[in-house]
Amino acid sequence: MDEVMRRRLTLLAVAVAVLALPPVLGRMGLLSSEQGFVLGRGACFAAAALALNMVMGYAGQISLGHFSLLGVGAFTTGIITGADHLALPYVIAIPVSAMAGAAVAFLVGLPALRLRGLYLAIVTIGFAYAMQASVFRARAITGGSGGVEVPRPLINTFQFLRNGDYLAIVLFVLLVVWLVDVNVTRTRLGRAFQAVKASEPVAASFGVDVARHKLLAFVLSGAFAGIAGAMYAPLVGTISASSFTYNLSLVLVIVVVIGGLGSRAGVVAAAFIFAELPELLELFGEGFRGTDQVVGALGLMLAVRNHPGGFAQAMRERREKKAAPVEGSGAGIPQLSALPRPTAASVVPVHGDVLEVSNVTVRFGGITAVDGASLSVPHNTIMGLIGPNGAGKTTLFNVVSGFVTPQDGSVKLLGRDVTTLAPHARAAAGMGRTFQGIGLAKDLTVTENLLLAQHRLAEYSAGEALVGIGRTWAVERTLRERAREAVAALGFERFEETPVRLLSHGQQRIVEIGCVLVTSPELVMLDEPSAGMAPGAAEDLALRLRDIRDELGRTVLLIEHNLPLVLDVCDQLTVLATGRVIASGTVDEVARQADVVDAYLGEAVPA
Amino acid sequence: MTASTASDVLLDVDGVVAGFGPTTVLHGVTFAVRKGEVAGIFGLNGAGKSVTMKVLAGTVPARDGAVRFDGVDLMKVPAEERVSLGMAHVPQGRQVFGALTVEENLRLGAYTLRKRDRARYASVLDGLYDRFPILAERRTQIAGTMSGGQQAALAVARALVADPKPILVDEPSAGLSPMAVQELFVTLRAVADSGVTMVLVEQNVTFGLKVVDTVNVLQTGVVVMTSPVGELDADEMAKALGIGRLLHQGVSAVVGSRAVAVDEVEPRPAKRATTRSTGATKTTAKKAVTKAVTKKAVTKKAAAAATTKTAAKKPAASTKKVTAKKAAAPERAAAKKATKKATKTASKKATNKATKKAATKKATNTRGAA
Amino acid sequence: MVQNLVLGLVYGGIYGLLAVGIVLVYRGSRVLNFAQGEMGTFGLYAAWWLSTEQGLPWIVGAAGAVATATIIGLAFERFIVRPMGDQSRLAVAVATVGLLLFLLALGFRAFGESPRSVAGPIRGSIEVAGVFVSGTQILSLVITAAIGVALAVLLRRTDFGLAVLAAADDPTAVRLVGVPLRRVSAFTWGTGAAISALAVLLIEPTVGVFAPGFASELFVKGLAAALVGGLTSLPGAFVGGLVVGLLEVFVTDATLTSSLPGIPTLSVFALILVVLLARPQGLFGATQTREAA
Repeated sequence: MDEVMRRRLTLLAVAVAVLALPPVLGRMGLLSSEQGFVLGRGACFAAAALALNMVMGYAGQISLGHFSLLGVGAFTTGIITGADHLALPYVIAIPVSAMAGAAVAFLVGLPALRLRGLYLAIVTIGFAYAMQASVFRARAITGGSGGVEVPRPLINTFQFLRNGDYLAIVLFVLLVVWLVDVNVTRTRLGRAFQAVKASEPVAASFGVDVARHKLLAFVLSGAFAGIAGAMYAPLVGTISASSFTYNLSLVLVIVVVIGGLGSRAGVVAAAFIFAELPELLELFGEGFRGTDQVVGALGLMLAVRNHPGGFAQAMRERREKKAAPVEGSGAGIPQLSALPRPTAASVVPVHGDVLEVSNVTVRFGGITAVDGASLSVPHNTIMGLIGPNGAGKTTLFNVVSGFVTPQDGSVKLLGRDVTTLAPHARAAAGMGRTFQGIGLAKDLTVTENLLLAQHRLAEYSAGEALVGIGRTWAVERTLRERAREAVAALGFERFEETPVRLLSHGQQRIVEIGCVLVTSPELVMLDEPSAGMAPGAAEDLALRLRDIRDELGRTVLLIEHNLPLVLDVCDQLTVLATGRVIASGTVDEVARQADVVDAYLGEAVPA
Repeated sequence: MTASTASDVLLDVDGVVAGFGPTTVLHGVTFAVRKGEVAGIFGLNGAGKSVTMKVLAGTVPARDGAVRFDGVDLMKVPAEERVSLGMAHVPQGRQVFGALTVEENLRLGAYTLRKRDRARYASVLDGLYDRFPILAERRTQIAGTMSGGQQAALAVARALVADPKPILVDEPSAGLSPMAVQELFVTLRAVADSGVTMVLVEQNVTFGLKVVDTVNVLQTGVVVMTSPVGELDADEMAKALGIGRLLHQGVSAVVGSRAVAVDEVEPRPAKRATTRSTGATKTTAKKAVTKAVTKKAVTKKAAAAATTKTAAKKPAASTKKVTAKKAAAPERAAAKKATKKATKTASKKATNKATKKAATKKATNTRGAA
Repeated sequence: MVQNLVLGLVYGGIYGLLAVGIVLVYRGSRVLNFAQGEMGTFGLYAAWWLSTEQGLPWIVGAAGAVATATIIGLAFERFIVRPMGDQSRLAVAVATVGLLLFLLALGFRAFGESPRSVAGPIRGSIEVAGVFVSGTQILSLVITAAIGVALAVLLRRTDFGLAVLAAADDPTAVRLVGVPLRRVSAFTWGTGAAISALAVLLIEPTVGVFAPGFASELFVKGLAAALVGGLTSLPGAFVGGLVVGLLEVFVTDATLTSSLPGIPTLSVFALILVVLLARPQGLFGATQTREAA
């Protein structure tokens, strides 16, 4: 029996168990009504935890008001199924609540495009308060402070009044949510989220539309939370504004952080434990009743202090420590032994050069970082961009790759004006770049990074990915194959499943170059690739750079401080000093110019 | 490598290995700083200069090796306590407290001093205001509104307020206009001349060489060359910096103008005055004698003016640093131009101007020569 | 109208005090303390126990409030913030969320939901130009001003105070001149907590009753005030407080008969959004918007 078949059968078995066991156990008296309630509540929290995990754990955003989204779903269900309202079947309530949650989450996510970290946290708190103090109390929406009565689902004449019966439904819905979450993490969606969380510029350089994915994370999360609300409302029966207070959102944060940001199993387990906590604590004695939140909060403080990544990360770290130490960390020079096979032949521009930068000027505050710089990189050459510290090289690089908008000037890639294109669009147009701080998602493995790098080649829609249909898995298989080939080309098979942050600097740099090349961009931009490399590795790098030009037929633009490397490998040089191009041409031509020497040794450049 | 007697070594850095996270930037850095001298650390970007400084300051821990200050093992001493030991730091980018006034900045710099001896603070402060008139004028000005050069002066003054030995200065010329760099040079030279031990990290080789006594060159995390500035070899320097053939010739010019020969006290024969030195060989460069103003300095008025200033201010402290000689030995200056380019454009000018200078500065020369 | 102005001023002063606490802690540790308000509530319970339950004079209760809150602040700094020295500022902020929940839950567990009250120190009110101002309200205005002046003097005139101001700019440079950062950190947390306790204590008589979570809504408004002023500006905190106080009072007045409840809270939320999106550094903050984490 093959893997796929086995997985499908397991799934079926679980689904059947979930649907059949609770009602049966309930009727047999092995599952009390109260226990059914508590487990049901745990399942609702688990769904909400998965929702928050999507936003905080996967996408690295922050939301301190997520329980309010659950409230949105709950009240929506109330309106749909409530006897005084629409009185529609429960089945309809679930998707509608999901959509309501998604819509409100979209609104909350909009500020997330402009704000980060602390400021975003503040906005989400404000949101939670606003909902609690105002919207949830509005008579029109929620029947005022009195609350709304939400009935249990009804099929024909059978109503799921028993907790045991309703638990089956709740667990089943949780299972579905779990599966969708799995699909997120197994496809380009999850990888894109992780990339955004790790570093937005790096994500953009791999073609990820950062803004779109941030909103998508919020929307999906909102949908999950809405569903959790649809599960919760009939469980408790009556809901009001005070059911969705600000501190419940905080409890959710505790659950997700303690369970482990980014770990599906961790947060679900933590949610169930937390739901059980009041009962568990009472085992210690009467005095402990009502102390569940106290204990939980104390737990959060200590957990955050010792393991900011939660228990999932603590366990992961312990596992990693036990595993054999990473080879080559320190001893030996990592080699970039070969290059990944190109995915497409090189495109020779019909007119002009691969890259044309014209008269770019960049001003920050009162400083002119780049002053009327122009450079052209002909097809199939290696162009070195050199100059002393602070000359504006990285700024110019950022202008070319789209991370900095110039006040003046233009950038043309393969004849096409890309001056106003966002970084991820430029990546799609054929521009690949590395970063000084190593442009990889450090928590992901080497393979996952190589998959991430192929983001723009993952040609299936988000919808297909969520449900796991259509071309999704076929495309994923192709991407994986290519990733495996790239790993083999780099000679890093033994590091396939190693998180990148465990590799040495030189090894990370090699993986990064591999990632840039795996989609065969026309223009390969490297930002100080030899920095931090031992001299032997730098020589190897020179060989590979020539290979990129000769074997792959691509074009390279690199910033470098390692002058022997530059003089060895570059066809042409552009020298930048105090923001201006002071020399350009072949290496020999440039080496002779007096001002270049002056610039490096520190004399002021003659005006 | 220069020998150093144990007794007069103030800072001893031995085989230091350090870095961030998985990256190791320093792979065994070794050098020593003697009392009263200015030790320079040079190197291209990425060589490890600022990490070295941070290890000395205590903000980056060393993973291996030792750092000893006056015999005390610094590894156990956290950054904030190194000040009370006597180490002061002028960090990269100056990092003055932008929201506070000049006087408040100095007060904070004297935090440990004021705790020990408040009365002394007043006199130290007065002394500093004398030495830095620009700061005296701007006592109540908000530090963040001052120019780069003024902030640099403030940063140095703030470090001096703690009466330090040594003072660590990290790339002070970074981001400063040429005028400000000139001011900075004057400031640092004055500090060095007052006998304060200094460790100077610089990427700007031309500027740095004017200030230091000993040159240490870092390349990819290791000190590859240590030499007193007088015995500096242009070739070695270029190789040590790792700048290859591109800049080798330029380095020779700079080095040639700065290095001091062993027998500097003896006046050089005047016959060299007319040497065109076109296509001068490396040997000529090695024999570079004076810390004379380079041809660039001669052609640039500002630099020339500064030389005059320093010549006037500088006491005849050490034989190596007789700046008067700068003006007085134009012949040697011209002769030391090891590069074609240097000499082609400027040798004629140099000889002419230098000869004039020699005439006017003769008096200073005789007075200043040690 | 003038009555509203006075009320806005009073509330504004309190929000300003809360904002000062927030800004102090932010400057000292670059952390936003979500429990800032609740530390004050706990102080309030101490005051309640001392003055209402035990019948001791108000001033004793106040001292107890300040002491309780300060202890909480110092303990949190010592046992949670300091060991987390290198961690991201966002992680520490999450830890303060834990503190908030801890205090809330503990409050519920220990004191229950029922509202209590602490009588103000000065009974009765006086009439000034047709406007009624209670004794406590006058006192709170006076104390707000006094704290503002005291902080200004303390921070600008003493060496340690200067170090506190400088630590926000550049903690590394502060270490390099020899100031022990942990003392700065402890000072800001302790003082911030103490000021919160005072703020909460002074506004309570105007609000009337309190229960666990009392200060949480106050906190959001204090936060808005801090944002308006600029998270790093102490005088800005007072100005921000005024803005929020006046906004709230006038909006409440204008929307008394609306069918949508809680509009003042909505308006404060809107203010937060506007400030963060349009001018994150607030009115007086530094333009370098350093984001936590």
